[in-house]
Amino acid sequence: MSDVRISGLHKTFGTVHVLKGIDLEIPAGEFTVLVGPSGCGKSTLLRTIAGLEEVGQGDISISGVNVNSLRPRDRNIAMVFQNYALYPYLSVFENIAFGLRARKMEDHEVRLRVNSAADMLGITGLLDRFPKQLSGGQRQRVAIGRAIVRKPQLFLFDEPLSNLDAQLRDEMRGEIKKLHQDLGITMVYVTHDQIEAMTLADRIVLMREGRIEQMGSPLNVYEQPATRFVAGFLGSPKINFISGELVDAGDRQAMRLSDGEIIPLPKRTQAWGQSIVLGIRPQHLGRSTDSKVKAGEVKLSRPIEIVQPTGSRTYVTIKIGGTQCIAETESMETGRPGETIDLSFDLQHAIFFDPTSGAAII
Amino acid sequence: MTSASHADNSGGAHHPSRRMPDHNFRYWIIAPSVFLLLLIGLFPLIYSLVVSFQQITMTDYDTSFAGLTNYAQLFDDARLWQSIAHTLIITIIALPIELVFGLAMAHLFLERMPGRQIFISLIVLPTVISPVVAGATWRLLFDQRYGPINQVIGWFAGHDVIMLWNITPHLVYPAILICEVWQWTPFMFLILLAALSNVDKSLTEAAELDGAGFWRIFFKIVLPAIWPVMAIAILIRGVDLFRIFDVIWALTSGGPGTMTETISIYTYVQGFQQFESSYTAAIAFLIVGLMSVVVIWAIRRMGLAK
Repeated sequence: MSDVRISGLHKTFGTVHVLKGIDLEIPAGEFTVLVGPSGCGKSTLLRTIAGLEEVGQGDISISGVNVNSLRPRDRNIAMVFQNYALYPYLSVFENIAFGLRARKMEDHEVRLRVNSAADMLGITGLLDRFPKQLSGGQRQRVAIGRAIVRKPQLFLFDEPLSNLDAQLRDEMRGEIKKLHQDLGITMVYVTHDQIEAMTLADRIVLMREGRIEQMGSPLNVYEQPATRFVAGFLGSPKINFISGELVDAGDRQAMRLSDGEIIPLPKRTQAWGQSIVLGIRPQHLGRSTDSKVKAGEVKLSRPIEIVQPTGSRTYVTIKIGGTQCIAETESMETGRPGETIDLSFDLQHAIFFDPTSGAAII
Repeated sequence: MTSASHADNSGGAHHPSRRMPDHNFRYWIIAPSVFLLLLIGLFPLIYSLVVSFQQITMTDYDTSFAGLTNYAQLFDDARLWQSIAHTLIITIIALPIELVFGLAMAHLFLERMPGRQIFISLIVLPTVISPVVAGATWRLLFDQRYGPINQVIGWFAGHDVIMLWNITPHLVYPAILICEVWQWTPFMFLILLAALSNVDKSLTEAAELDGAGFWRIFFKIVLPAIWPVMAIAILIRGVDLFRIFDVIWALTSGGPGTMTETISIYTYVQGFQQFESSYTAAIAFLIVGLMSVVVIWAIRRMGLAK
């Protein structure tokens, strides 16, 4: 087990500045997920840790050792690639054994280790086959087998599940999480899928345009996003953003939407007389079943535009303040498009953002 | 019958495009080109086969059939077998050198670098030049009086050197090989560059992370991936080298004596200097037979026919 420390990391490809000053500590034994939209630099960061890309500026150390000038093979890192990168001309056994043979391990030890890794991943029956004879999920297991058999100090994953179909992806996600629990190796995982990030991570590192936007535990980042970007990136269906302007409503501040609706703010903000953006997740914009208005609750009535049942929940699209919003209701209480739905707005969970900087202000 | 269906029927009769096309028509279209191909391809082959059983020389009117006499003569012709040996020597030495140089250069040019495109175009130039021009140019370069090569060697040696590249027995083969390797290494380079840039980069990266060194990555990962293309390149160059003519003709004309006479040169000399038409045809068929066996064996061996 080992920790990774990255400080002041910059990286450019030609004239493109890909990483713009990354400072990151990855604690030993933790599962860290680098997540962000494509082009945010997360894969480059991972490849730089692996040594496949040179450090432009800054430092990377693993277990306290600066690895800037260390070759990939000397870093004792294993990596699972997006396309698995299985050696097509070698059998599954030789694929898994490749790293051990490269390190001149004795034959019986190789056999022992490969067999135990294959056993752990349930691919013992596939050892004589060749990669092209395997299904996507089996290839994925072989790629993981090839990584764990070497007992590396650090385990890197570069979007390993993106080539699998939805069902297999869920299954493998669970297996990777279990693998981490069993082995306890430090893992760094790159994905653009926010569900993978939320479910797998001990710590999420959310990246945007070569910088770290926010990091923390998944729930922390989800519930207290530092910026509008983070709030919009995590969660499915997406958080609703409604813009309006700050007004004075007697004893407290409030927000006036473009359709005239007034939403009281829970706390005072310095941003007086400006426009403001309200973020509310679909699950906090539910159907109102009670006519009484509780504290921290706002009631709204809106005509239904679209109804999307998923079985367990139903997503209803309505328009609030000129913006299409999604409300989450329980499955049985679906209305029809055109009908009016009574909604309850849970202000406890609303987040307010500055529209120009995107920072959360309340 | 309704009026609508009636209109349909009459409409069908008036539109020839709706009728089934004449199936033989397509064969009539390609017939002229097939005929032409047979005329210029198959006819000479069959005709020379016939000639090889006759006793035609261009100095005599005798065209009577001679049976297998010409073929029997092949086995007693020491100069023929020597020319085959010369051809094999050149092939066996030049082919691996071109392959290794081409591969090494392709490896160098795999990385992005400034001016890469221009360098590649420059490197490929020799292959574009006609071999007979290349041979003549190298003859000038090797020339004792005004060739720069001996001059440069002279500078390094510190005194004038006399090296008659196209006459001195121990220098003729190096001269031929230098010219041949210079001209055809770029061919290997170009093909192997294309093959190497198609190797999945994540495979070599994975191997690197697995702790494999350069040679292990090359032999276990890269070589199997480029092998099909490399095998074709070797086959093409191998066959080409076996037919080598122009360069040697321009440099040494097969000399000194018959020392650098290859099978192609010997065939040419027999046919157009000795005018032994029938015997030349027999030699040609010997070569066709030998080459067919080698090429078929090579294709099977390299696993290309899969």
